Amino acid sequence: MKLRDPLARLSHLLPSKGRAALTVLTSSDRPGEAFEDAWRGNVKRRVIVVVSLLALWAAAIEARFVNLQVVQHKFLLNEAENRQQRLLLDKAKRGEIVDRNGQILAYSVDTDTIFAVPSEIKKPAETVAALCHAFGDCTPEERADLVTRLSSGKAFAYVRRQIGPEASARIAKLKLEGIGLRTETKRFYPKKELASHVLGFVNLDNVGLGGVESAYNKYITGLDGRSLVQVDAKGRTVQSRMQQPSTPGGTVELTIDQYVQHIAERELLAGVEKFNAKGGTAIVMDPQTGEILAEASYPNFNPNFPQDVRDDDARRNRAIQDTYEPGSTFKIVTASAAFEEGVFKVDDIIDTNPGQIKLPGRSKPITEAKGHNYGAIPFEDVIVKSSNVGAVKIGLRVGAELMERYISRFGFGQVVGHELYGESRGQLSPLSQLTESSLASMSMGYEVGVTPLQMVTAVSAVANGGTLFQPHVIRAVIQNGVRQAVAPKPIRQAINANTAATVTEIMEQVVVSPHGTGGLAKIDGYQVAGKTGTASKVVDGHYSKTDYNVSFVGFVPSRHPRLAILVVIDTPRNGPAYGGSVAAPIFKNIAEAALRQLGVPRSVNPVPPLLITAPANTISQPLVNAPVEAMVTDASGESLVPNVHGMSAREALRVLGKAGLVTRVSGDGVVMTQSPAAGAPLDRGSVISLQLKRVGTVK
Amino acid sequence: MIVDRRVLPHLDWACVAALLALMTIGVVSIYSAKWDFVHQAPGREFWKQLYAVGISLVVFAVCLLVDYRSLTQRSLIFYGALIALLLYVSFFGVIRNGSRRWIPLGGFDFQPSEFARVVVALVLAAYFAGAQRLSKSMREIAFGALFLAAPLLLIYRQPDLGTSVTLIPVFLGVVLLGGMRMKWLAIAALVALVLAWPAYRFVLSDYQRGRIQTFVNPDLDPRGDAYQQRQATITVGSGGLFGKGFGGATQAGGYGFLPEAHNDFVFSGLAEEHGFLGVLVALLLYLFVILRGLEAAKLAKDRLGAYLVIGILSGFAFQVVYNITMSAGLAPVKGLTLPLMSYGGSSLMATLAGFGLILNVRMRRFTN
Repeated sequence: MKLRDPLARLSHLLPSKGRAALTVLTSSDRPGEAFEDAWRGNVKRRVIVVVSLLALWAAAIEARFVNLQVVQHKFLLNEAENRQQRLLLDKAKRGEIVDRNGQILAYSVDTDTIFAVPSEIKKPAETVAALCHAFGDCTPEERADLVTRLSSGKAFAYVRRQIGPEASARIAKLKLEGIGLRTETKRFYPKKELASHVLGFVNLDNVGLGGVESAYNKYITGLDGRSLVQVDAKGRTVQSRMQQPSTPGGTVELTIDQYVQHIAERELLAGVEKFNAKGGTAIVMDPQTGEILAEASYPNFNPNFPQDVRDDDARRNRAIQDTYEPGSTFKIVTASAAFEEGVFKVDDIIDTNPGQIKLPGRSKPITEAKGHNYGAIPFEDVIVKSSNVGAVKIGLRVGAELMERYISRFGFGQVVGHELYGESRGQLSPLSQLTESSLASMSMGYEVGVTPLQMVTAVSAVANGGTLFQPHVIRAVIQNGVRQAVAPKPIRQAINANTAATVTEIMEQVVVSPHGTGGLAKIDGYQVAGKTGTASKVVDGHYSKTDYNVSFVGFVPSRHPRLAILVVIDTPRNGPAYGGSVAAPIFKNIAEAALRQLGVPRSVNPVPPLLITAPANTISQPLVNAPVEAMVTDASGESLVPNVHGMSAREALRVLGKAGLVTRVSGDGVVMTQSPAAGAPLDRGSVISLQLKRVGTVK
Repeated sequence: MIVDRRVLPHLDWACVAALLALMTIGVVSIYSAKWDFVHQAPGREFWKQLYAVGISLVVFAVCLLVDYRSLTQRSLIFYGALIALLLYVSFFGVIRNGSRRWIPLGGFDFQPSEFARVVVALVLAAYFAGAQRLSKSMREIAFGALFLAAPLLLIYRQPDLGTSVTLIPVFLGVVLLGGMRMKWLAIAALVALVLAWPAYRFVLSDYQRGRIQTFVNPDLDPRGDAYQQRQATITVGSGGLFGKGFGGATQAGGYGFLPEAHNDFVFSGLAEEHGFLGVLVALLLYLFVILRGLEAAKLAKDRLGAYLVIGILSGFAFQVVYNITMSAGLAPVKGLTLPLMSYGGSSLMATLAGFGLILNVRMRRFTN
């Protein structure tokens, strides 16, 4: 064997046409048998090594696959599905809030919300510039904020929520990468401030945050639908499968009558402005049922823009959340206790000389208003003239225990409404802590905190013959076309009918009598029963000489009461601050207009008061506009698309919304065409498009 | 060129069938992985792979029928052509994903580096078989290593670490059979170990380091580098025993959760759709093919044939082992395709050329 240099060997690799080179490389210069065995042996040995290593690897990798695909299979499958599937909530449309006649006070419409997928946005600054150009009203702060949010690289960010159709169309036209539109419902309160405290408001996520919106949030919200969405690695939807369609929220029908509410708000505002007061409350109640026809508080707010309200004062529902010392209106309670327990009779004479009374534990004597001395007067005149000394004497004779019992019977010191959040129970000292001085104060409406709602509820009991009804603003709830009415709920018999009649008669004298404090509450053609109240406010721990809560509470027509009305004005500054001079005229204005609105007949010839009863079935009022459109159904029980031809956009939206359809509107005027057509099978949650046109003349 | 019809009866038909089966599995997996949900049609990768299969079969036939000895004889021409192509690529190739590897050929991208394994195996086999004894001297082996070094560096510079590394087993396979002492291999391994840290620190690029780091500690970066590894594990595991069925892949399917499901991670996709059973079948086919190849090396008529077979087979086996290990989430993610199954015409062509040569050697075991 010749030893060859590797370089020399290279030459043999060079291509050569001759057979010689080939033979050099392979066959001819064949090495001996020994070498043949040597290299074959080498191949065999090393192949065995390779095969065993390969077998080891194969066993290991099989074990790994068994581990992943059998042992960890469930866990990993779950991992995969978590990444691939997303549960999307299909937000249910919020139900409406309507007044007792079906007039809409709150409803929801579809609006567009602009969102961004920051991770897909390459040039945030340019995108923001384009967006702001389309919006046309970006502030520099918003611009900067948007740039930050769009640069975040996250998967989702809101740009602007619940925008108008023009702006959303402009954005859609831009077709910006990473910017999308989606439908969100927006809450609208078409009557603006009307009944704002009762209605409450919602946040951007349509969660009720006050009033009925909050208290009945769950009911109004409905049930969100769910759909399972298959997404790809970039989070884009590949396909979606509806698991459960959304159920629109129920409609809440209030006991509020929007016209009466408007009257109450109008007159309250007029009164507050006229007397330059801090605020006020007016409640109109149906004394036979406890239904609240109007509940007005001032200051109020526009629930369409709750975020614009600067102080919480405006959002506070004074009617149920605020307590005040009622003053003389509370003498109704004192008198009721005295009669019911037989401590006094109507014609008992009470000596109020010398116009003041000293009590142990009190530095100053209790005096009459304006320094009067009414002398010895019959019981009736203690109320009619609103004698403090007289009331104190009556209260002390009745005694702490009985006074406390009657105060409780009338619902003071308790939560009476149980409907809206934040309702106060008032302040009432427990019997054990009641001194003679406190008892005296309570007899004339001091040292006791009541809410306007409690006061009007108590007086309603006097009006209807003694039954205390639970006050309520919810008249019915309506879901899926089924209306569930809320029945009037009597809590207890506060006083008997005789006592009620006697107190009513005295309260009539408050208005009618020439000495009465409530003369300004007189209404032509109607007999009015009422009571004035003027109470010093506590300012810095002392009863103020300038700040008063003045009030008037009464009912009309007094012998067959349809309305119980309370007016409380907080701190009137113009002119003398008396319930009779400030609150009584407001009471009169509200009552007069409301009686006319409700068509209550004049009560010129009053029936004897003893005959007053509270027939339960006389008050139900017809539905003027049924809040629910009857749903058309064919024989198979399947719902059909309603006909909205000729309706205005708003009407059509309401009708179709009730039917569970999502409405797309184009054009303006009245509905000319609809697709799908009326009478087609109704597919809840599907989209119906309406073409509107203006019509020249309506025939 | 010598085509002798008498050798055809000795063709290893079982091996050919296994190769065809593996290619079929590959094409089907690509069909699933590249399903276009928008157009509800297979993606264009599927069609391109089908064409590639056709062309590769022609290449296979040529490499099978031409006597391997006449090919090894011209191995320097092939080697020169390879180096020329790699140089061309390094200057004029198209850049995709930050790497210059391809020569565009009207619709197809030709990747010369895929052919490096076959060519290096040819030239090394010719070189070491040229010696009339076992080559045990360091000098000879170092000289043989020069054949390895040129394409390795050129491919590494593209950069394409995965493909360049596959040349090393080709070299090792040939020199070990050629007579290199195991002692030297041990020394080389030791040197490699010592150099590993500096290499990791200074040679590897950031993304390569990242892949190794996340392999060691996957929680470092669940959305970035570890993402593929984690997704591969989930993909395989979610398939279960019997798989989600053909077209049922949600991870490796068109949704894009598993990146490169048609390419580097084609085996994970197979595991998802056809479960452990599919894995078992594919794995057995690969082992069968490799064992048949090793048998061909044993049966080879001469050292040239044996070296050639071992060289080609080493590269092939290394790729298979590494890729499947990676698909099971057990090795750092590296751009290394699974031969016969992964998407890529050049890779398929080179692999079939290699197997053409392996079967060529086996077929001609009785000729002179």
